[in-house]
Amino acid sequence: MIIHEQEITWATHKLILTNKKAIYWPAQRTLILSDVHLGKAAHFRRNGIPIPSKIHQKDLDILEILLNHYTVYKVIVVGDLIHANANGEVLDFKNFLYKFQTIEFVLIKGNHDRIADRKILDLGFRSVCDELHIEGITFVHEPDKSAKFQISGHIHPGVTVKLPTNKYFRLPAYVVSEDMIILPAFSQFTGLDTKQVFEKAVNYAVLDTGIIVVK
Amino acid sequence: MNKFEQSLGYLHIVSWLNEYDRTPFSFQRKSWEKINAGYSGMVVAPTGFGKTYSVFLGILIDFMNHPDSYKKGLKAVWITPIRSLAKDLARAMQEVVDQIGLDWVVEVRNGDTDVKIKQRQSKQMPDILLLTPESWHLLLAQKGRDKFFTNLKAVVIDEWHELLSSKRGVMVELAIAYLKCQQPKLMIWGITATIGNLDEAMHVLIPYSGNKVKIVAKEKKLIEIVSVFPPEVEVLPWAGHLGGKLVEQVVPIILESKSTIVFTNTRSQSEYWYQILLDAYPDFAGQLALHHGSIDIHIRTWIEEALSEGRLKAVVSTSSLDLGVDFKPVDTVVQIGSSKGVARFIQRAGRSGHSPFEVSKIYFVPTHSLELIEVSALKEAVKTGLIEDREPIVLCYDVLVQFLVTIALGGGFVKEEMYEIVKSSFSFQWITAEEWDWCISFITIGGKIGKNYEEFHKVVKNEEGYYVVEKRRIGMLHRMNIGVIVSDAMVKVKFLGGGYVGMVEEYFITKLKQGDKFILAGRVLELIRMKEMTAYVRASQGKAITPSWLGGRLPLSSNLGALLRKKLADAKKPSTREAELKFLHPLVNSQEDKSHIPSENEFLVELIKTREGYHLFMYPFEGRLVHEVMSSLMAYRISQLYPISFSMAMNDYGFELFSDKEIVLNDEQLRHILRKEDLMKDVTASINAAEMAKRKFRDIAVIGGYVIQNIYGKQQNNKSLQASSGIIFQVLEEHEPNNLLLRQAYTEVFNQQLEEPRLMRAFERINSSAIIYKFADSFTPLSFPIKVDSLRQSLSSEDLGARIQRMQEQSNRLNRKRR
Repeated sequence: MIIHEQEITWATHKLILTNKKAIYWPAQRTLILSDVHLGKAAHFRRNGIPIPSKIHQKDLDILEILLNHYTVYKVIVVGDLIHANANGEVLDFKNFLYKFQTIEFVLIKGNHDRIADRKILDLGFRSVCDELHIEGITFVHEPDKSAKFQISGHIHPGVTVKLPTNKYFRLPAYVVSEDMIILPAFSQFTGLDTKQVFEKAVNYAVLDTGIIVVK
Repeated sequence: MNKFEQSLGYLHIVSWLNEYDRTPFSFQRKSWEKINAGYSGMVVAPTGFGKTYSVFLGILIDFMNHPDSYKKGLKAVWITPIRSLAKDLARAMQEVVDQIGLDWVVEVRNGDTDVKIKQRQSKQMPDILLLTPESWHLLLAQKGRDKFFTNLKAVVIDEWHELLSSKRGVMVELAIAYLKCQQPKLMIWGITATIGNLDEAMHVLIPYSGNKVKIVAKEKKLIEIVSVFPPEVEVLPWAGHLGGKLVEQVVPIILESKSTIVFTNTRSQSEYWYQILLDAYPDFAGQLALHHGSIDIHIRTWIEEALSEGRLKAVVSTSSLDLGVDFKPVDTVVQIGSSKGVARFIQRAGRSGHSPFEVSKIYFVPTHSLELIEVSALKEAVKTGLIEDREPIVLCYDVLVQFLVTIALGGGFVKEEMYEIVKSSFSFQWITAEEWDWCISFITIGGKIGKNYEEFHKVVKNEEGYYVVEKRRIGMLHRMNIGVIVSDAMVKVKFLGGGYVGMVEEYFITKLKQGDKFILAGRVLELIRMKEMTAYVRASQGKAITPSWLGGRLPLSSNLGALLRKKLADAKKPSTREAELKFLHPLVNSQEDKSHIPSENEFLVELIKTREGYHLFMYPFEGRLVHEVMSSLMAYRISQLYPISFSMAMNDYGFELFSDKEIVLNDEQLRHILRKEDLMKDVTASINAAEMAKRKFRDIAVIGGYVIQNIYGKQQNNKSLQASSGIIFQVLEEHEPNNLLLRQAYTEVFNQQLEEPRLMRAFERINSSAIIYKFADSFTPLSFPIKVDSLRQSLSSEDLGARIQRMQEQSNRLNRKRR
């Protein structure tokens, strides 16, 4: 698997957007991702909707590749780590984190993260909070249009690209404006919001084969 | 007089009919006799001749003759495809029962039925229950359902032709199979209008051994077809623009009639016609109504009532009024544009002049001159009784897995016994043991790759060996999802001050900006804001857009296509009686001068060079869907000869390949690209089957239980269980390629989208025809409507990544669109 990168300078910091839907911040050796929705497939299965669990495994495999590819001291998940409740797939993640004990995992709580903080810490997370500030950047779950230098997730942004043949394709995308970055959902098993339009924002749409800029 | 005609029940019914000066038709008498003898069967009769009585009175006679064989409780279930029909039928049946002096109770049970009545029914069933296929399955999902049906004698499927070639028909087949197994003597009766494949229709409904009979009424409905001619014939006919001009001629038709239904083919066309009729004759205000699927159900019900009470002069409608209760005052029907099929045309004509022996009068208003050929074709079809087949659907696993959970929910089933039941139905007679195992594992462990589905809970095998649903929540989710009608996400449209207007597709409304105006339910509305799934509007005036509803484009049936080819050939020398063909003579002459009018054993290909580029036109007359496939195939085959790319356009008559590069094609190459050999291989290579299958999977995912459908009007509280069918399709493609529901999506693409059998026949025909290859330097009358049709497609063999990359290079062409 090849990781494609797009380097941007934002809020005076150098950030690397990857086509694996996570941002690497080299100066801080930090990986930033959002909307992991752990246990979503299992939650569906519990309710009688047969989704194969391989999809969940694939998300973890990608995370593992990212953690091995970059030098990572810290991982910030900007919300929606856990889709519903602590099921088997969530517990899988505990074993996963066990392999990366030297890395500090931090969760910004999202609207889906309704399970007790204690249980999240129990998985191997170092801390859980509602908001985080590092070097002038604010990390929150839900984007706030009035904020300054904010990184968030929540809306699962995407774009629709129209080919000249009147065919449409929807792709996950980073939304980047002067004041904010909204991450695409990390999990493959999520929908896309292609309807919200952010003024003066650039979209970086991700494909398996690269990143494309859509203005 | 035979023995039956001396029987108590028969004499009683006949004397009751005599009180009203009525005598039974011979087909009614015959079906009564057969029901009395315990037969199953199918009654074929035109509307208005008492099809209902042929079966309903038969059951009453059988009861009066054999009262001991009828026990307490539900005696017959009566299935109708639409709810509004059930209400009226029940009322009529109850009246008959009362007048005859029986103590039977006839009731309806469906989504509109009050909860209290449903509870009472569950405790004590009426004698006859009217259901839709969906409410029937819901009843089968009820705990203790078997006791409802212990004394069931008959199942009647009304309007079977409407259900036959749909997944709802498969629901009916499965429910019958289940009840037939409990009650081997159960009588199964179908009631249908005339279709091409009556014997097959009966076999699909009653694949069981035992006595059965097909009863066809000799009585015929007389139809008078009248063309509305435009003032003059246009030699280059535009697609669609002519209609409006003819409004001046439609107004007097409406004025001279008691009550008229104006049928259009799409909702946007109906909104348009409603407007122009009002503009042309403002006095229609208050007497003209608009009826289509996006209009509030209460308004629609009101319109239907007003129409049957004769309070409306005219209703503009879509296929939403094709079916349903009889509107007695309606004496005239107007059809705007092609009806696309013989059966639909006859059905619509039959909405007027409803009582037996009255003539149904239908006016045909062409939307472009060429459509007049269709009138001539329809007249011939009506005369010769050439009506389309309705093909049954087989092996839809989505309906099967839903049904299995339904049965598990209502008390469970034994695996081996259920296999026999399922196999006894027409639709699943070819199911293999392996596929059956897959279906069982799908509902029990989630699929064949067991380990990947830990924590899956749906159906479990209990200690007694029954497959049951144990969790309440799963039962609840399943009940909400029973049925096979999958609708697009709809947005409610409301006035700011309250008051509900109707519904539009979410896809349409999200394209609008605040302050944009659009037309719905015949009103100009201004969008104020969107909140959740509701659009708030205020009344406005002036120019506005009409929503284009998806799925409005029905393809031409193959019967009508064949007739059109014949009539077009006839048009060269029209007989004096064919007014339509005579009228078109100037157009036909122009086509013959510039190019050629193909005879029945010819296939016309035109290569036209204009300033824009090169256009290759072909005219198979096989309908839009087939043309879509054929045009991709032609483009693919030409691009195998030399590199070239095309854009494509099509209508029901033919299609166009356009390129700015010169299309070089000699006779031999033309014959080569039209060859019937390697047909499906090349079709598969020329289309994006995965993309098409993904679209088909949308419905399958809902029916099979992957996607919880948003029930309109109900609070959505299953947010954490929402996933789009597109995502699930991708997940399955990657992780479970042998999933039967996924495979079904591809099968549906080949059978329904690509219409494989029809495509094969078309190529057989083309290959045995003389190919006429003509060149021109301006558009011909046949090619022009295709040219102006806006639905364009194009063929490219590059994959998505490469295409986007190429577009990036030519970044000015990258066109981003929010929707």
